[in-house]
Amino acid sequence: MNGSNDNAMPGQIARTQIAKAQIAKAMTEATGLLRGPQRALPLIQRLVSDKLHSTFEQRHLYSYTTTKRPSGDALNSLLRWIIEAQRPDGGIAAYYSLLTGYSQSYPEVTGYLVPTLYDFARATGDNRAVSVAESATRWLLSLQMPTGAFPGGLHGGLATHESQPSVFNTGQILQGLVRAHAETNRTDTLQAAVAAGDWLIKVQQPDGSWSGPAAYQNAAHTYYSMVAWALAELSDDAGDRQYGFAAERNLDWVLSQFRPSGWIDGINLQGHPNYLHFIAYVLQGVLECGILRQRNDAIEAVAKSSWVLLRKFETNKFLPGAFDTDFKNGQHFTCLTGDAQISCVWLRLFEVTGDLRYLNAALKMNEMLKQLIPTRGGRGIVGGVSGSHPIWSLYQPLRYISWGNKFFADALLLERRLTRSFAASGAFEALPCAS
Amino acid sequence: MRIVILCSSVYSETACAMAVRLSESGHVPVGAIALPAANRGTLLRKLGQWGATDVIRYAGAKLIPQRGDEQARIRNPYLQPLLKHKGGIFRSLREVAKCYDFVVAVFDDQNSTDSTKQLKAWSPDLIIFTGGNILRKPLLDLPRLGVLNVHLGMLPEVRGMSSPEWSLLNDVPVGITIHYINEGIDTGPILQRCEFPDAARCASLSNLRNRLIAFGIEKAAEVVANLDRGAISATPQSHLNEDRQFFVMHEWLQARASERLAQSQSAATARTINA
Repeated sequence: MNGSNDNAMPGQIARTQIAKAQIAKAMTEATGLLRGPQRALPLIQRLVSDKLHSTFEQRHLYSYTTTKRPSGDALNSLLRWIIEAQRPDGGIAAYYSLLTGYSQSYPEVTGYLVPTLYDFARATGDNRAVSVAESATRWLLSLQMPTGAFPGGLHGGLATHESQPSVFNTGQILQGLVRAHAETNRTDTLQAAVAAGDWLIKVQQPDGSWSGPAAYQNAAHTYYSMVAWALAELSDDAGDRQYGFAAERNLDWVLSQFRPSGWIDGINLQGHPNYLHFIAYVLQGVLECGILRQRNDAIEAVAKSSWVLLRKFETNKFLPGAFDTDFKNGQHFTCLTGDAQISCVWLRLFEVTGDLRYLNAALKMNEMLKQLIPTRGGRGIVGGVSGSHPIWSLYQPLRYISWGNKFFADALLLERRLTRSFAASGAFEALPCAS
Repeated sequence: MRIVILCSSVYSETACAMAVRLSESGHVPVGAIALPAANRGTLLRKLGQWGATDVIRYAGAKLIPQRGDEQARIRNPYLQPLLKHKGGIFRSLREVAKCYDFVVAVFDDQNSTDSTKQLKAWSPDLIIFTGGNILRKPLLDLPRLGVLNVHLGMLPEVRGMSSPEWSLLNDVPVGITIHYINEGIDTGPILQRCEFPDAARCASLSNLRNRLIAFGIEKAAEVVANLDRGAISATPQSHLNEDRQFFVMHEWLQARASERLAQSQSAATARTINA
């Protein structure tokens, strides 16, 4: 989630444009309550609740070690939120704002929600998720540009002919198309995926990165490893190695940005701090691409960075929502989406390495997140994942964001699969010390 | 040998049992430093570890004088032989100190200036840590020999928290390690590693933990005697460059560790029947 359109404008002009866009966004949000005064009460309730929670919360060594809310219950409520966030056009809203209500459909997130919806349906047998995924896919196919690219930003923010193609959004939507094809075997879906993949290869730089006008702020970003992951999936699905090679070219470039401390350079977002969400994007993209392409160097690099975050979380029972370089100066709020993504990374690392400490940390992280999902309130609130905790903090303030639901649902689905598999394979041998 | 005990509270059963065991073997401590009983950090940790009901029960047993049923007043029944005293039990370190004639001082932080000043006055050869704060270098440098800790796991394989449980899940022998504390987490030089021979006879994780604590106190007393005779020296740990720190275990994994313990118990029973 880039957070704004992928319009390219260098230097000072770009900064001015960003500032103007932010002011305009703030004004729209601020007047939202005038247009929907019924939203005032839920807003006040959440503000008071978060204030009390952050004032009196006492974290300690044993925090989040016991299950307060069943994961299945939380998963159902997350998916209910997603289903309710589907707009009449078939796309999923980017967010529900406590000031302005639901946003318009968001192609990028709608794309990568498709695998989550199919996974949920498979895990629970709830076919409502399948029909949401199918209508979302149909909507996505209608948005594809003649070049094969997909546009940036929210749907309706710009007229279609004015939309800019976006590398990141195309990659995220590609994930959804690949999965939709795997589930439905529809030729038109595969053709759309291949066209998107071809466009991504066409605009890829010789060093493996993506920059230029179709990249956010015109710059190369390491979190575009998520695009590499989608290309690696397309390579397997379409049986065409060129997409895999393109994915590895990007992987090589991203890996060159990893520091010995585990920090990753090149997130490269002007006007934004290094949110955990983007750090986690880099790690997820590199890890999943590394698994698909059997690249141990990628898995090891991600394990190193993830371990830094695991130690921070285990020591403080909290992950800062944003960091300075080398994971320094962590900020005093948490980014729930980033937390959920990191939980996914830890769970996958457990699956790959067998190190139970990753599973342990992910179980605790999921426990923490479950406790922050509203169980009461109206549509758009119950089952929603807020951008930040406390909700007024820096990342997506006063909003429940659909990509937060996506990643937390992914984390709970992974938890479900891995814990079941671990418990089932528990043909433990007797203890070495048993006498 | 001049020994000082550090503990998380004067009501710590482990600290009481350690002081009794050392005193009975002729190594009466010169003093003990405890954190306040209502220390916020300790209270929160215990609430998380034991739950509110057990914390209230524990506090009641320690604070309210009761008659009869001594076992019900001791959380760790394997410490009962050490805590029994003149038809009753030692309820606090103050009672132990009164019996064996040493001093108990209470400070908010074991690393504080007042605490280190008190320690300097006692001029200890050895400090035995049974609980409290993360110790800082000025305190660690105070005793002639060092600060001794009984870790409920085999070092260097399992450092950090929930060691018995992590040992079970990672196929590491269950046991204890007596080591000096340094600035890392369980990375100090090792005095003695002891596998626990009765793990397969433990009915539950809490039973295993309780027995390991009692086992550790016995072994610590032996180590102290050997240190006093100059018959033992510490060995630096290997694998210091590997991150072998473990953290508090989530209850789902604890349940798996518990299953593994039960399986080892069944296997041991089957072997006994076959024999």
